[in-house]
Amino acid sequence: MGFALQLLFTGIGVGSIYALVALGFVLIYRATNVVNFAQGDFAMLGAFAMIVLTVDLGWPYWLSILITLAALVLFGALFNLGVYYPLRNRSFLPVIISTIGASILLENGVLVAYGPQPQSLPGLFASQGFNIGDVFFDSQYLLILAVTIVMVTFQYMFFERTLIGKKMQATSQDKEMASLLGIPVALMIMLTFAYSAVLGGLAGILVAPVIFVSVGMASSIALKAFAASIIGGFGDVTGAIVGGLALGVIETFGAAYISVPYKDGFAFLMLFVFLLFRPQGIFGERIAEKA
Amino acid sequence: MRAKLKAVSIAVAGALATMATNVEAADTVKIGMVAPLTGPGAFSGQLQSQGFKLAVDEVNKAGGILGRQIEAAIEDDQTTNPGVVLAFSKLAGDKDIVAFIGPIRSTQIHAMAPDVLKLGKPVMIGGTDPTLTHMDNPWLFRFRPNDTFSARVIADFGTNTLGKKKWAIVHSTDAFGTAGMKNLTEALKGLGVEPVLVQGYPNNSQDFTPVALALKRSGADVLGSYMTFEADVAILAKQMRQLGVNITWVGSPSNATTNALKLGGPALYGTYAVVDFNKDSAPPAKDFHAKYEAAYKATPDIFASWPYDAVHILALAINNAKSLEPDKIRAALISVKGYEGAEGTYNFDKNGDGLHGYNIVKNADGTIVFDKRIDFKE
Amino acid sequence: MTAGTVTTTAGGKAGRIWLGGVLYLVTAVVTFAFANFTMLSAYVLNLLMQASTYAIAVLGLTIVLGYAGQINLAQAAFFSLGAYSVGLGTTTFGLPFLPALVVGVVLACTAGGVLGLTSLRLGGHYLAMVTISFQTILSLILTNWVSLTRGPDGVLNIKRPTLFGGYFLDSGHYLAMCIAALYGVGLLVWHLRKTRLGRAMQAVRDNELAAGVTGVDTYRTKVVAFTLSALLGGFGGGLFAGGFSYISPDQFSFSESIVFLTMVLIGGSRSPVGTVLGTGLLILLPEWLRFLKNVYLAVYGGAVILIMVFMPDGIWGFVTALWRKLNPTMRIAPGAIAPLPLTREVGRADGSLILRVTSLSKHFGGLKAVDEVDLAVARNTVHALIGPNGSGKTTLLNVLSGIYRPTAGRIELDDRDVTRLKPHQRAGRGLGRTFQNIRLFGNMSVIDNVMVGAERPSHVVPGHATGLTRHALAALDFVGLADRAYDAVGSLSYGHQRLAEIARALAGSPKLLLLDEPGAGLNHIEKDELVGLLKRLKGHGLTICIIDHDMNLVEQIADHITVLNFGRRIADGTPEEVLRNPKVVAAYLGEERVGASS
Repeated sequence: MGFALQLLFTGIGVGSIYALVALGFVLIYRATNVVNFAQGDFAMLGAFAMIVLTVDLGWPYWLSILITLAALVLFGALFNLGVYYPLRNRSFLPVIISTIGASILLENGVLVAYGPQPQSLPGLFASQGFNIGDVFFDSQYLLILAVTIVMVTFQYMFFERTLIGKKMQATSQDKEMASLLGIPVALMIMLTFAYSAVLGGLAGILVAPVIFVSVGMASSIALKAFAASIIGGFGDVTGAIVGGLALGVIETFGAAYISVPYKDGFAFLMLFVFLLFRPQGIFGERIAEKA
Repeated sequence: MRAKLKAVSIAVAGALATMATNVEAADTVKIGMVAPLTGPGAFSGQLQSQGFKLAVDEVNKAGGILGRQIEAAIEDDQTTNPGVVLAFSKLAGDKDIVAFIGPIRSTQIHAMAPDVLKLGKPVMIGGTDPTLTHMDNPWLFRFRPNDTFSARVIADFGTNTLGKKKWAIVHSTDAFGTAGMKNLTEALKGLGVEPVLVQGYPNNSQDFTPVALALKRSGADVLGSYMTFEADVAILAKQMRQLGVNITWVGSPSNATTNALKLGGPALYGTYAVVDFNKDSAPPAKDFHAKYEAAYKATPDIFASWPYDAVHILALAINNAKSLEPDKIRAALISVKGYEGAEGTYNFDKNGDGLHGYNIVKNADGTIVFDKRIDFKE
Repeated sequence: MTAGTVTTTAGGKAGRIWLGGVLYLVTAVVTFAFANFTMLSAYVLNLLMQASTYAIAVLGLTIVLGYAGQINLAQAAFFSLGAYSVGLGTTTFGLPFLPALVVGVVLACTAGGVLGLTSLRLGGHYLAMVTISFQTILSLILTNWVSLTRGPDGVLNIKRPTLFGGYFLDSGHYLAMCIAALYGVGLLVWHLRKTRLGRAMQAVRDNELAAGVTGVDTYRTKVVAFTLSALLGGFGGGLFAGGFSYISPDQFSFSESIVFLTMVLIGGSRSPVGTVLGTGLLILLPEWLRFLKNVYLAVYGGAVILIMVFMPDGIWGFVTALWRKLNPTMRIAPGAIAPLPLTREVGRADGSLILRVTSLSKHFGGLKAVDEVDLAVARNTVHALIGPNGSGKTTLLNVLSGIYRPTAGRIELDDRDVTRLKPHQRAGRGLGRTFQNIRLFGNMSVIDNVMVGAERPSHVVPGHATGLTRHALAALDFVGLADRAYDAVGSLSYGHQRLAEIARALAGSPKLLLLDEPGAGLNHIEKDELVGLLKRLKGHGLTICIIDHDMNLVEQIADHITVLNFGRRIADGTPEEVLRNPKVVAAYLGEERVGASS
C-alpha cells in the first residue's frame, strides 16, 4: 500500500511538470494555431539562467528567480518576433519546422556556451523532504504541486477576470474578429508567447533541482507534455492539466508494475489509443470539418 | 661538354632536392585518431584529445618513434556510427598513417571494424564490449579492461570482500548497460550467486522511484550497477536514500567521476565503484595525474588515461619491432608484458586485451579513495 | 502575342522532356560506371553510400510532404524497418540480401499504410504526433526487444547481395547498385508528378477542400502518399544496412527523422532534384564544416529558420522560381484545339429535374443555417439562389457539395440519392462546383488544375495523356484561357482565375454546375463576358445553379429563382414572380409593406 501511495505522489509531481509545460503549449496553440516544438527549451533556458545567476554569480535565490522570469518575458517576445511573426500568414507546416529549427539553435547555442556536463541547481528548501509513514514527500515535488495550483488559479483569474486576459482569449478564438474590435492582435500574440515562455521557464526552474540542468533536460518532457495535452483535449486548458497529471501517474505506475525500460513509451501508446478512438481527447470537442 | 655537366648537375641537384623532400616527409611517424569532438560525446572527446596530445608530446621529447617525431592527425566522429565510419575512412586514405587511436564507444568501434579489417593496420581502442577482441579482427588492441573483468571484479569484491550475497543489478538499457548486466550475471553465477533483482531503465530517466521501490521490495543487500550517465546515478542515489534503501553499492566507472560526486553529493557517500583509472592505484597513475593537471589545469579521468597509455605503448612496440610494418607492430604489441601504465599493468594476450583487472574505489564523504585492485590471470 | 513569349505546340513540350530524359539516362550510366570501375577511397565510398541511401528515403518525403502536403516525422522509423529487415534477415534468418530487402520494403509499406489509414482522417498536428509516437515506440522496441533485435548492441556483419560466383558485392559495386536504385527511384518520383495520382496529391496539398469537391478522393490519396513515403524509407534503410554492414538502434531515433525532414526542406520539397540536392548538401556540409565543431549545429538550427522564412521552397525551388522569371513562358498557338464535348451525359430540356432537394436542414448547434429547404432544379436551366447576407445560401451549397453533412433531408441528383455521399463521389456523379473565394490549386499550372477536374471518378477521357491534355485545353478554350494553359495560376488576373475555376469544373463534363458568386469581384466587362459564357453553357445542355448578389446578372440569365432568408425558403418561381414578391423585397430592404407579412 505504501508503495502505491509513494508512486501516486511521485506521479502527481511528475505530472505537474507535464501540466505546466502543456499549459504553455496550449496557450500558444490557441492563439496562433501553432505547435511550438521549442516549448521545452523555455524550461531549459529558465534552468540555465538560474545556474548563471545563483551558482556562477552567487546572487540570492529569490532575486534570481524574478530576474529569470523577467528575462523569459523578453525572450518569449523575441521568440515570437524571430520565429513566428515572419511566418504568421503561412500554413502551419513552415511554422512547425521553424520552431524545430529554433529548438536546435537554442539547445546547441547553450551547449557551446556551457558544455554537455549536467549542472546541479539547489532547490528552494534546505531539507529534502519528510516522511509520513512509509511515504516520502520530496519537498521540491511539493513545491512543484503548489506552484502548479497557484499558476492554474492565477491563469483562470487572469484570463476570465481581467480585461487584457479577455482580449487575449478573444484573439485566440477569432483573430479577425478581435482585430475588427480594435484589439491589437500582434501585441496579444506577443503577450501569449511571453507568458508561455514564463510558464515554461518556471517549470524548468522547479524541476531542475530534481533532474539536474542539462541541454536536453526538457526535450522528452516537452514531447510528453504535448502528448498529454492532446490526450486531455487539445486546445483546452483543463485538458492540459488533467492530461499532464494523468500521464505522470500512468507513467510512474506503468514503470513500477509493467516495465521500466518501456517507460517512455506509455505516453505515446496512450496517445495512439486516444487518437484512434477519441481524437478530441478527454475534454475536447468533436473535431468537425470546416468548409 | 659544359651543357652535359650542367644537365648532370641539374639532375643531381634535382635528385638531392627530391631526396631532401623525401627525407622531410619521412621525418615523422603519423598516428591518426578519431574522437567525438562534436555531438553528445564532445566532453569525453576533449579529454581524449588532451590525453593523446600529452603522450605524443612526451614521446616526442624523449626522441620520438624510431628517431622520428610523431605527427598527429585527428578527425571528428560526431559521436555517431556513420560519423565514425566516415572519420576513420578519411584517415585510412592517408597512406602515411601507421596506426590509429579509435573511439571509446563500443558501438562506434563495431561500426568501423569492417573498415579496420580491410585496412589492416593497428587500431588502439577504449571500448569495453568484450566481443571487440573476440571477433577475429586482429587489428583491435584494447587499452581498458573489458567488461567481463569489471563484472568479475564487482562480483568478487561484493561477494568475497564485503560478504554480501543478495545481489540486485540495475543497468541502463543501452549497449554498455545491457552488456554489463549480462557479464555481471555471468560472473555472479560463477560464484554461485543468483541475483534477486535485475532492473533495466532507459537513459535519462529523470525519476527513479519505481527502481528504488523495486530495490526495496527485493530485499537485496548489495547493488551492482552499470549506469552510463552521472545524472541518472545521482538521481537514483538520492531517491534510494529518501525511500530508505541503504544498501551496499558497487557501481560502474560513472559512479565515481568528478561530476557524479558533484551531482550526487551526500547520497553517494560510502558507495563503491570500479574504475580502470584512479590516481592512487599505482605510481604511474599518480604520475600521469600530476602531469595532466599541470598541462591542462584540469583533472584527468578514464577518457584521458587510456589514450595516454595507448600512445606510449604503441611507441614502445614500434621501437621494439624496429619497423613500421603492421604485422611487426602487431607482434610487438601482443608481446608487451609488465608495462606499468596509468590504467594499470599491461600484459597483452593473444586477443589484444592489455588489462585484466579493475580498481575498487570508495566514496569517503565526497572524496574518492582508492581501496584495492583486483586482477585476474586471464 | 506579347513580346517575350514563345509559342509552341504541345508537341514542343514533349520534345523538351525527351531531351531531359536522355540527359538523365546518360548521367545515370556515367555515375554508375564511375562507381563500378574507378578506385574510390573508402571515405568517398562511404560518403556516397550514405548520401544515396538517405536520398532514397528523403525522396519518400518528397512524395508525402512535397507533393501531398502531409507531414511525416517518422521517416527514420520506416528507414529502420528496412535496415533491420536486411540486418536481421541476412544474419539471424539466413536470407539472401534481396529477399530480405523485399521483406523490409513490404514491412515498411504495411506500417505506413496502417498508420496512414488510422490517422489521416485527422489533420496536420495529429498526424505529426502520431508519427512521433510511432517513431518513439519503435525506437524503444528496437532497443529493448533484445531477443529479436539484438538490442542496443546492434546487428553486425550484415550481408550484401552475391554475384554469380558467390562473392559478395564489394563496396564499389554496391555503391553503383545504390546509385542505380537512386536514379530509378528519382525517375519514378519525377514521373509521378505528371500522373493522375500525382496531380491528385498536389491538389490535396494546395487546397484539400477544393480537391475533394473537384473529385479527388482526398483520404485515399493521402494514405497512398504516406504509404509510398514509408516504402521508400524502408527501401533506403535496407540498402543502407547492406552498405554499412552494421546498424544499431541509436542511429534511428527521432532526431534522425528531423534530419530527413531538414534535408527535404533545404533542397526543396516539391522536386526530386531539390531533394537530392538537400540530402547531398546536408551530408557534405558537416564534412566541410568540421572546423566549426559545435557551433555548426547551432548555425544549422538558425539556418532552418531562415530557410523557412526566406526560401520556403528550398534552394531548388528558389532557383526554379528565378529561372521562370527570367525565361519566357510557353503559350499555346490558338485555333489548334478541338471543341469541348460537353453534352455527353445531359438530357433534354424537358422540365425533368436534375436536382431535387427535399426538406434539407443544416443546424450548427442551436443555429439553423438551413431550415427545411426544398429545391427543384430543372434540366438545362439556369437556376439562381438569392437572399440577403447570412441567409444560408453558401451553407446550402456546401451541403449540396458534400462538405457538410445535412442534419435532415434528402438530396437527389439525376434521380439518385446522394445525401450520404462524400464530395468526390458527388463529383463522380456529375456535380461541379466553384467557390466564392476562388479555390484553385495555387502551386500547379492552369492546365494541371483543369486536368484534375477531368480526372474525377467515372469520367473517361479517351486517348490517355494526349487525350487528357486535349480535353483540358478544350475546356480552357471554352472559357477563353487556352493561351494561358501552361502559366502558373498565380499569374492570372482575378477574373481569369474565376474562369480557370469554371474550366476546371467543366473539364469533368458535369451534369449540374454549382457556381457560388461567380460575379464577385468582376468589373462590368468581365461580368458581361460571364453572362455570355453562362448562356453558352446552357446552350450546350448544361444545368447551372448560381448564387449571386448582382440582380442585373441574375435577371439576365436566370430561368428560375429560389430565395432564402434566415435559412428558410421564402420564395420560388420565375424572375418576374419572385422579384416582385413583397416578402422578397422586404427581406432585402428590411421594411414591412402594408398587407405583407414575413
